[in-house]
Amino acid sequence: MSIPRAFGPLDIAVSGMRAHAKHMEVISSNIANSRTADAGKGQPYRRLEAVFRAQGEGVAGVTIADIVPDAGALQRLYDPGNPAADPSGYVTMPNVHLPVEMMNLNLASRAYQANAAVLRRYQRMVETTLELLR
Amino acid sequence: MIDFDPNVSSLLPNVKQGMAQAIRPGAAHADFSRAVQAIGEHVSKVDDLQQASDASIQDLLTGKHNDITTTVSAVAKADMSFKLLVGVRNKLIEAYKQTMSMPL
Repeated sequence: MSIPRAFGPLDIAVSGMRAHAKHMEVISSNIANSRTADAGKGQPYRRLEAVFRAQGEGVAGVTIADIVPDAGALQRLYDPGNPAADPSGYVTMPNVHLPVEMMNLNLASRAYQANAAVLRRYQRMVETTLELLR
Repeated sequence: MIDFDPNVSSLLPNVKQGMAQAIRPGAAHADFSRAVQAIGEHVSKVDDLQQASDASIQDLLTGKHNDITTTVSAVAKADMSFKLLVGVRNKLIEAYKQTMSMPL
């Protein structure tokens, strides 16, 4: 395990803020497309999931390694009036579940705040150390 | 940030030696100039961080990049290292003043 550099906590906190901001972007895409029946190729939008990965072994920051589509089953809604409905009256809709997305949104914003709190606390810690010089 | 090492502490044994043997002031002088050189290097490092922070702010405002966390990180680093530098400077000036007001 390598010894962290001088700005370690700062860089790690910033990497966390960046990763969770990106996660929030993914969640907003999911929410915005929660009723997108055609995501370009005639297929409904598939929910996207951000994959977090540590930047290295041991003490390290975090990064979004990949954004992968959720392979879960698409929702089928009964809507006979819809022109896209199949003969039995069902429309295939994205596998986005808004309650789940809202929960993830809460998680992402809390994690972002936590990283910002770490950053602020570290700065205050360094200032406390510098007070000793006086 | 905290493990500031301008090589002053590592020079202390030599400095003490130089002070004990006041006959050869050359050694003590060399040590002192090394310490001054180390401080100069640290100042230029702090200056690099300040310039990086300025460039980052400018890039953000001119729209060259829109990642505010990078700017926050650069500014925080510049701020912290500058505070350390100011602390060391104040301490040095204080030491100078105390030396000058020493009754001889």
